[in-house]
Amino acid sequence: MRLSAPVKAVAQRLTLPFLIFVSAMLAVLGKADVMLFDRVRVVLADSMAPILQAAGQPIATAADAVASVEDIFAAYRQNQQLREENRRLLQWQETARRLATENEQLRNLTKFAPQDAVSSVTGEVIADSGGAFLRNVMVNVGRRDGVARGQAAMTGEGLVGRVIEVGERTARVLLLTDINSHIPVTLEGSRERAVLDGDNGDQPKLVYLQPKGEVKSGDRIVTSGAGGIFPPGLPVGIAALDGSQLRVEPYADLARLDVLRIVNYGLPGVLPETAIPAPRLLRAPKASAADKAR
Amino acid sequence: MVVAFWPRDLAFIARSVPAITTFFFALLSLVPFHLPAFGAVAPSFVLMAVFHWTIYRPELLPLSAVFLIGVLLDLLNGTIYVGLTALVLLLARTVLLGQRRFFIPRPFPILWLGFLALAAGAALFEWAFVSLLQATWLEPRSFILQTLITAACFPIGSYLLALAHRAVPNPGG
Repeated sequence: MRLSAPVKAVAQRLTLPFLIFVSAMLAVLGKADVMLFDRVRVVLADSMAPILQAAGQPIATAADAVASVEDIFAAYRQNQQLREENRRLLQWQETARRLATENEQLRNLTKFAPQDAVSSVTGEVIADSGGAFLRNVMVNVGRRDGVARGQAAMTGEGLVGRVIEVGERTARVLLLTDINSHIPVTLEGSRERAVLDGDNGDQPKLVYLQPKGEVKSGDRIVTSGAGGIFPPGLPVGIAALDGSQLRVEPYADLARLDVLRIVNYGLPGVLPETAIPAPRLLRAPKASAADKAR
Repeated sequence: MVVAFWPRDLAFIARSVPAITTFFFALLSLVPFHLPAFGAVAPSFVLMAVFHWTIYRPELLPLSAVFLIGVLLDLLNGTIYVGLTALVLLLARTVLLGQRRFFIPRPFPILWLGFLALAAGAALFEWAFVSLLQATWLEPRSFILQTLITAACFPIGSYLLALAHRAVPNPGG
């Protein structure tokens, strides 16, 4: 299209304000209506996954090389640690066996209905969020591997977060530490309930505790199962008192995530996308447990 | 002369080097570096590319390209503020465009300082923007760290961009 010179000059002058306006509007709108970009995002993530994976390969190789050199130097110390740990774990194994037998006997007595079968799939982290205000990762497993929204992402140590977006071959995991992560938890000893709120720091906050709830540093925190997103009892972390604020040190090392296990507990806790009314302008104050889990 | 190297029909490829490198620099900040907690403070490589090309060849990195790459990066990093990076990059480009005559003849350390200032400004803007929309006080620590790491990686990024720059025909070529 050929434009006359003055028109072209005006168009050129207006491009910058126009694009700035569009970006700002998008950024604000995205906050008001989180569903807006989901479809686009998922398609884009799927199509870019091979490129991201290829780009990450040399770096992963280099990191592996560095790690194996470190391992050689640390072998003696690690060996000592492992012996010590092995000794302790053997004792635990003994305890666990005894408890398992006892548990089975008690279940038989009470005709306890066991939980649905658990299936899991393991994925590699192919992209970090790469942002100072984001705490999420992308993994290279998706719908075709049986991943669905709301499933738990775990490492061997504990809960990492939950799946918030699923593409055909990629999924995005919102980490516990993200400011938008709210997970219903319980204190293992007292069965006191609380919500674990991320604030982008390393240790998420424990909120909505009963005022009289007695929590000490070192208490084990597990998922409560409220809201039906996660099953109860997934290990989350250890309570740590930070001034007057209760925080939780996650068991999983969220700073080093290479491989994640996406676990399907067969819980229908997450509503289908269409069933969630898009929040308008203001978000409703903390409402139901399902909202908190979103 | 580099210009003679490119056949006339393929010159458009050479001319799109700035946009292509900016795109790849954007992807680079998403790739996991397998360093502890690096994801949260990964350097903003895309800002380096925008810095370089806006100073040396702004006509080859048009506003539309900056906008599209910014939006793409936001869609890929999973933020709910799609458009924030685009906004930051557009503003950075605008600010730089006014200063490019100052930067062009300067030695590298001055460029580096200029980039540090730009990265700090960008981080401050992002921090203020997200804090405002989340209506909370975000911990500024990771923004500060990210700025420092971005500035620390500038020489490497700058070197790579200078290599790519050789393939780009001179103005008027």
